[in-house]
Amino acid sequence: MAEHFNFWSTLTEPLVRQNPVTLQILGLCSALAVTTSLPTALTMAAALTTVVTLSAGLISVIRKHIPDTIRLIVQIVIIASLVIVIDQILQAYLPDISRSLSVFVALITTNCLVMGRTEAFSRHNPPLPAMVDAFGNGLGYSLVLIVIGAVRELFGKGELMGHTVLPLVENGGWYTPLSLMLLAPSAFFLLGMLVWAIRTVLPEQAEALDTVPPPRGEPAE
Amino acid sequence: MTKGLWDRETVALMLLAAYMPLALTWLWFGGTDALARLLLALVVSGIWHLVFMLARAQPPSLAGAIAALGVAMLAPEDLGLLRMVLGVSFGAVMGELVFGGWGRNVVNPATVTLSFLGFGFPAFPWPGFVEPVAWAAIPAALIGLAFGVMPAGVILGAVLVGVTASLAGLLPAVLVPAAGIVLVLLVACPVASAATELARWLNGAFYGALMVIFAISWDGAAPVQMAVSAALLASLAAPLFDEIAIGLWLARRRRPHGRS
Repeated sequence: MAEHFNFWSTLTEPLVRQNPVTLQILGLCSALAVTTSLPTALTMAAALTTVVTLSAGLISVIRKHIPDTIRLIVQIVIIASLVIVIDQILQAYLPDISRSLSVFVALITTNCLVMGRTEAFSRHNPPLPAMVDAFGNGLGYSLVLIVIGAVRELFGKGELMGHTVLPLVENGGWYTPLSLMLLAPSAFFLLGMLVWAIRTVLPEQAEALDTVPPPRGEPAE
Repeated sequence: MTKGLWDRETVALMLLAAYMPLALTWLWFGGTDALARLLLALVVSGIWHLVFMLARAQPPSLAGAIAALGVAMLAPEDLGLLRMVLGVSFGAVMGELVFGGWGRNVVNPATVTLSFLGFGFPAFPWPGFVEPVAWAAIPAALIGLAFGVMPAGVILGAVLVGVTASLAGLLPAVLVPAAGIVLVLLVACPVASAATELARWLNGAFYGALMVIFAISWDGAAPVQMAVSAALLASLAAPLFDEIAIGLWLARRRRPHGRS
């Protein structure tokens, strides 16, 4: 494993081909909740990527010393400590964004994306590959958050990163904001359309049918 | 003719015929403005049906015209071309065509469009109806019931609750026209409403009950807005009522027959 380890593919596979959000449908709760604007989405993406990378490294370092029966508790303790550190840093240096992210930074602890990577990969691999894999997954998550956050902020408020892109009607422009974009359902629609688009381009990602229709005979003339 | 006369398009045609009294009365009183809205909705809906026919080999359906009629009659006013096109496209694609066409959708595409426009552009006023248009909903419902293309339980259940509430003074008379038109156009859709007999009654009654609740506690909403919201919630709850009806049937069967 170690000698054939391909860093580049481990890093890039989770971006689109094995994307944790659009293919494995992990970590949706936070992905949908914090994407009303691009700054919050970016902060959340950065926080999650940091946590997942560091926790993967730490867990991988002590992977041979964690008793199997209590491994989940140990993993959660490590992840939770990192999350608390990140949360404190955000509250100290970015108080506004920290307020608008509210509880979701703390909820990174239970994000199934973080748990999934530590449980499935870091527990069996040396620190460097584990961190590269976790970093790639964090980037894949970030990519989805940035795309959805950008679309929601652009069409919901006519802005990107707080700068006006589409001038609003109430400020003398032409664009009427689509208020639906700032409500939670739009995140579901956008994520669904994103998954649809990706699976149209990469049909091997589509799940197998639950049922197969019976073969159609030739109609009797 | 290997599948009989009653295929999907026959049902769509009969529904369209049933809606004729309502649509024609509405056009008569609405004039060119109404006609323009209807034509726009028809063209956009038709284009999406064509796109899905070419891209996915999905047969286009006349049900697109039914959804277009519902949108044209109930959509907020003065939306302008771009927003109307966006709304109809969203409803036709996300509400119906991605699921594989009419008959496989879970919510009426017109309901999806109207909810999208209503939540997306809350500043625009909802339409009102003159009295003859509301009366025309009754022959439309009767034709639909006579030919069996509208689920009888849904309409009767909703009317039952509506009449009871009106007699008890809970449902103000201003809401009744909008509630009736939405009942005929959106709730009594043979695809998106419940599919078992008991569930249909529950579905209709649930729509009526939601109207009563909204009438009592939703201040500042237009009648059509209340009715469309009730229709959306009622059609989302339809599978639940089916589940309840099937569960009850299984429990009743299990009692005399022992373990199923």
